[in-house]
Amino acid sequence: MSEEHTITGAQQAAVGKPDWNAEIAMLDNSLDGGQDDARDDEKSDFDINQYARSNHASGPFVLLSVIAATCLLLFLFQKLLWLVTPFLLALILYYLLFPFMERLMFFGFRRERAALAVIIGFVTLGFVAVILFLPRVLLRLSNSQILIGHYVNGAVSLALSTVIALEEHFSVLAQAHLSRTLGGRFGHAAGAISELVEPMLIGVATWAPALLLVPLLAFFFLKDGQRFKVFLSRSVPNAFFETTLQLLHEVDRAALAYFRGLIQLTVLDTATLAIGLWVIGMPAPLALGLLSAVLAWVPYIGSIVGGFIVVTVAASAFPADPSMAYWAAGLFIVLRLLDDFLYMPMTIGKSLRIHPLISVVMIFIGGAVAGIAGLMLVLPVFGIVLVIGETVGLVLTNERLRARYLHGKYLRRRKAHLGLRFGTTRKRW
Amino acid sequence: MSKFPFFQPHITLRYEQLGSVMLFETLTRREFSTIDAMLHERDYVKDELIFDVGEDSQAIYIVLSGAVSVSRRTNGVEEEIVRLQPGDFFGELALLDNAPRSAVARAAEDCKLVVMFRADLAALADTHIVLSSKVLLQMARHLAHIVRQTAMRTGATLHV
Repeated sequence: MSEEHTITGAQQAAVGKPDWNAEIAMLDNSLDGGQDDARDDEKSDFDINQYARSNHASGPFVLLSVIAATCLLLFLFQKLLWLVTPFLLALILYYLLFPFMERLMFFGFRRERAALAVIIGFVTLGFVAVILFLPRVLLRLSNSQILIGHYVNGAVSLALSTVIALEEHFSVLAQAHLSRTLGGRFGHAAGAISELVEPMLIGVATWAPALLLVPLLAFFFLKDGQRFKVFLSRSVPNAFFETTLQLLHEVDRAALAYFRGLIQLTVLDTATLAIGLWVIGMPAPLALGLLSAVLAWVPYIGSIVGGFIVVTVAASAFPADPSMAYWAAGLFIVLRLLDDFLYMPMTIGKSLRIHPLISVVMIFIGGAVAGIAGLMLVLPVFGIVLVIGETVGLVLTNERLRARYLHGKYLRRRKAHLGLRFGTTRKRW
Repeated sequence: MSKFPFFQPHITLRYEQLGSVMLFETLTRREFSTIDAMLHERDYVKDELIFDVGEDSQAIYIVLSGAVSVSRRTNGVEEEIVRLQPGDFFGELALLDNAPRSAVARAAEDCKLVVMFRADLAALADTHIVLSSKVLLQMARHLAHIVRQTAMRTGATLHV
């Protein structure tokens, strides 16, 4: 062996002490060689291996930083909604189409051609769907004021009939004239909701062309995703490289499993609710099933909104028969139970690692910070920031990796300073 | 090579550099371009640690330029086992099992390494069976060579 390297006491010190300057100074000594350091190191073998494999979980500081970063991003994203929304949708589309592209590559397609074929297939399907359903949707939207008023009135009459039925059984409620009070309040609210929805629809329509970016972005994610990952990994220092790559790979696999499971769950939810609604005789069971299944993508709150819509439609379609609304509500509760105890474990499992309480709190925070856009974007943004935060937290709290990073940094600095001073043989600064 | 390989991969140059590496020598140029998209390039300065004993092994390293020293650590002192030159590769057991690293790898000179991540090779097996089997066959040949050399050195009888 022409050159013997020694792991020094300095590296052991780097493991135990948070003072980075001291670490660098000791590293300096170590690289100049020293018998004392070699002796220290004899005792340090056990610690080195222990730290090499240490894998601490990130703590509350990381979580708070992630929440703060999410809020800041949501605030900024409000201004760039036209770009952020297609970007996130393209990311979802990438994960949805990736298995199909993998399949094509398995059959011998090159990555570029497989990506193109998958995207063309998706766009064609979308085009056919638009041709089939757009006229109907436009017709409905042109009557949106009347339609929304109709459904809101249906919901109001259901609520009032329920309160009146309660008043007949409970004298306390009858004495409070609850139905009369609620009737007045709901009357104003129905008008206000109808007026609010139309500008909202127009607002959505103005940036809808940006959605055309989605397939284009998804195509490039599919085609160049691997190269982009390699490109991004260049910014990771050598010491953290393998750990970071492994963590990102795990996240990538989890995201793929999550989106695949989400689609399976949506199909199961749609089919179950559509069959149930068809059996009790509701109009447009498939559309209602699909709408509530898609709304359930937003945890907790989405399910409540979906249930409310189904019950409202039932109350509006059968104004004289409130039992239909109760049947629809019952059906929805059964679906939720099936969802939680059967479908969810079968499909998504535990791939979404966000605690339920944090999810709900984040949805409210997202709404408060960035309105409706915040409500929609908060969970995907939080998920991405959480992954980045946890990865950074994990590698930065691993003291062995930090010590290695410092050592590498020191070596680079020393190399950069070589020969700068005139007439010096030892390179110090 | 381009500063932005993400946008403009210079496959010809890469193929010239890596096509003769044992792992890739049986690949066609087209097959190599597929595997090239998942190769990471890292620069190390002299004495910098590449990986350490006990660390999780996730990747195989190929020496593109410079030299790498692979050592065993005994009582805190590193004793060099082998010095690797351009074209050599190390950490290959990482591609086969999850066992932690059993040696220390350190840059003996300023060096440029190409890194292939285990998960990427596993993903390749799902999509490009022929390509991945070619790489794994080369890996098996390399390991067979090591086993044979070890057996000859120790005088053990081989039944493989």
